[in-house]
Amino acid sequence: MSSTPTSIIQVCRSCGGGSPVAAHFCQQCTKILTLGRHGDYFAFLGLPRTLTIAPALLEQQFRALSRQFHPDYFYNATPAERRASLERSSYLNDAFRTLKHPVQRIVYLLEIEGVLTPAERGGAVASATVPPDLLEEVFALNEELDEVRALKASGAPDAQWREKLQHAAAPIAAKRDAHARDLAALASAWDAVADRPADAPERRQVLQALRARVLERNYINNLLATIEREGLQVSGEAEA
Amino acid sequence: MGKVVGIDLGTTNSLVAYVRDGAPVVIRDKSGDALVPSVVSVDEDGTSYVGREAVRRLSTDAARTVYSVKRFMGKGVDDVQGEARLLPFAVRGEAGGVVRIGLGGKEFTPPELSSIILRELKRRAEAHFAAEGEFDFEVDRAVITVPAYFNDAQRTATRDAGRIAGLDVLRIINEPTAASLAYGLDKRHTGVIAVYDFGGGTFDISILRVEDGVFQVLATNGDTHLGGDEFDALLVQRELARCGDAMLSAEQIQDIRKAVIHAKIDLSDGERTTLLGRDFTRVEFEAIIRPIVDRTLAPCRQALADAGLKPSEVDEVVLVGGSTRIPLVRRLVGELFGRTPHSELNPDEVVALGAAVQADILMTGNREMLLLDVTPLSLGIETMGGVVSKIILRNSTIPATGSEMFTTGVEHQTAVDIHVLQGERELVQDNRSLARFTLRGIPPMPAGMPRVQVQFQIDANGILSVTATELRTALEQTVEVKPSYGLTDEEVERMLIDSFEHAETDFAARLLIEAKNDAESVVQATEKTFRLPMFAEIAAEDLAPGEQKRIEQALIGLKHVMQSSNRDAILQWTKVLNDATRHLAEVVMNRSVKEALAGKNVEQI
Repeated sequence: MSSTPTSIIQVCRSCGGGSPVAAHFCQQCTKILTLGRHGDYFAFLGLPRTLTIAPALLEQQFRALSRQFHPDYFYNATPAERRASLERSSYLNDAFRTLKHPVQRIVYLLEIEGVLTPAERGGAVASATVPPDLLEEVFALNEELDEVRALKASGAPDAQWREKLQHAAAPIAAKRDAHARDLAALASAWDAVADRPADAPERRQVLQALRARVLERNYINNLLATIEREGLQVSGEAEA
Repeated sequence: MGKVVGIDLGTTNSLVAYVRDGAPVVIRDKSGDALVPSVVSVDEDGTSYVGREAVRRLSTDAARTVYSVKRFMGKGVDDVQGEARLLPFAVRGEAGGVVRIGLGGKEFTPPELSSIILRELKRRAEAHFAAEGEFDFEVDRAVITVPAYFNDAQRTATRDAGRIAGLDVLRIINEPTAASLAYGLDKRHTGVIAVYDFGGGTFDISILRVEDGVFQVLATNGDTHLGGDEFDALLVQRELARCGDAMLSAEQIQDIRKAVIHAKIDLSDGERTTLLGRDFTRVEFEAIIRPIVDRTLAPCRQALADAGLKPSEVDEVVLVGGSTRIPLVRRLVGELFGRTPHSELNPDEVVALGAAVQADILMTGNREMLLLDVTPLSLGIETMGGVVSKIILRNSTIPATGSEMFTTGVEHQTAVDIHVLQGERELVQDNRSLARFTLRGIPPMPAGMPRVQVQFQIDANGILSVTATELRTALEQTVEVKPSYGLTDEEVERMLIDSFEHAETDFAARLLIEAKNDAESVVQATEKTFRLPMFAEIAAEDLAPGEQKRIEQALIGLKHVMQSSNRDAILQWTKVLNDATRHLAEVVMNRSVKEALAGKNVEQI
């Protein structure tokens, strides 16, 4: 597997010995290794780089590793080992939290495969351009939002514009659900090609498809947030 | 190496426990009491009193006596203006700074006052170990518990209190999680546990999954300003309203508060009691406290939602904290989760037991059990427009890290101001300010060029530390975080030294206090019997002519000498009251047994 290079070596700060990247403890002196150069969340947890992970397996790995390097067990160790335990535990917790969530898992995979930048993950870039597949919905939504704002400005009863807002939100929510299904299908497609060489075209293809869906998803979430704000803002005014 | 203990530093009571032969036990005083009331009194000479002696001083010197100090931990003066008016002691401090509590002519910070309580617990534990014949009886390390919903400032204040008391604080752990450890010991369960912890001043709910000995908190929620104190305040106000415009002294108000607390406790067992000479029923009591109890339910629902669980998916509900003795609380919690809550372990002691277990794990490296807790509140930093950008989300397992990239906005700018906040709201003003600091020493570069990575680390105590690195030059920065509502290391050091200089109560004074404690136990037991609904019947049917009168006289006599410092007289009168009530105690006991055999609760008469 080219995605998890085994050539990277971690150097033990206690004895100077080398260990493979996925090791947590020095293979020479058995001391906990400082979290310096490491692989990724998948490798860290001893899991293949696939998008289907049995929740029970993930939790089991998480618990097993927690038992190996939680700071509780290094209270009487040297400062360097305590530091290493703290760093490894923090990284483990971050890894578990990310991989537990199916969509975050996809986003993380795209990042370590180098097809998604941290800025794109945040959704900042996604909102700049409308994804082509969403043009129609966005156009309709903007019109309806304008109408909602006009209704509110004219002092129409809450129920009236709320109904309109809900009507505007429905197709977007439906689109999000459809996306969730697409993502699930693409995730299975990835698992079938994950082991191929990094430059294999079918591998790249799935990654690009996942990337497009994730960006669209960000965009859809932004739209839903806009709709929510429209509702929240007004109820705030009503209270005042 | 000295001894290691677990300490529950509570709003109302505190206690200490340790692990003996693999099992946690609480440390009791000679009269069998584990609880040390979290009350501190400082007299004119600067001598400090803790616990029951300090409670007594509430009736004689209220202005020099402080209770519920936990509510002020990690707080600024601005946070506590509202409630300060209702307290007998002076709450001061500079705007935007730490609370200072004035007792007589001196001012104390909440960590200093808490350290006096911790020192008493340390002393009690040391006396216990010495009595056990331990050669090395000094207690120098402790695990101290805090409410799960405590923020960074409150946790840090608690750790500071430990340091001022001369303790190496091994770990700050959350009270509900500690309780789950104590419960888990007995039972070795697997499944989802909800710990409902309703104490004197705080409320916590934690949802945990227990598997293979790993206690993993899934979500936590709560209110650090919601507890039994709120019931007391409502009841006191109700009594004050009855008094009309009468000007009462602080001491008189404290006596009302004491009566209210007794009535509250009575109504956990019985259907009715007497409060300041009037009949007071559980139904009335429940109507008064219901709105407060209801406020605990929303955090429960939020915690369940955050854990992604339905109430029916919770396998067991554990009750912790004195307020869970109230039948209404038990009923509402039972309804919410659809099951009868557990209460086998003493809800006052279970947290300290758990803390002792955790202390043992840290010392021995015993890997049978592991606590994985979460941070209760999201951590973020201020961004443009007064908006908070979240870096570590609430309910993240700790230790946890998060990082954020900063750059400059002006040419050759060498410093960036960073404001760290904790809370769930979007705007800076609605969240808790944890710290402000300035990143200095950024190499002069065109605006937007420097890339300063600020790394936030929440450790296993739930306490934050910050480091920063300028990535272009790989320049590591040590960030000095000035807590918004905390003490600096220098202040803590100075307080530690000061505390050694404080006059400690000497041996004779201790003997006197012990005598008073014993006397008070007898007084309270007698008064409780008098308040029993069936007392009139007992007096008429079972007591000899003049017996009640004799008891009342002994009671008055003992209460009178308790005001003095005459230890012999106190011991003598304690014996008199003990003798006078012996027959009455037998009668009450026999009636209870009879009623129980008849399948009817004594209190239901």
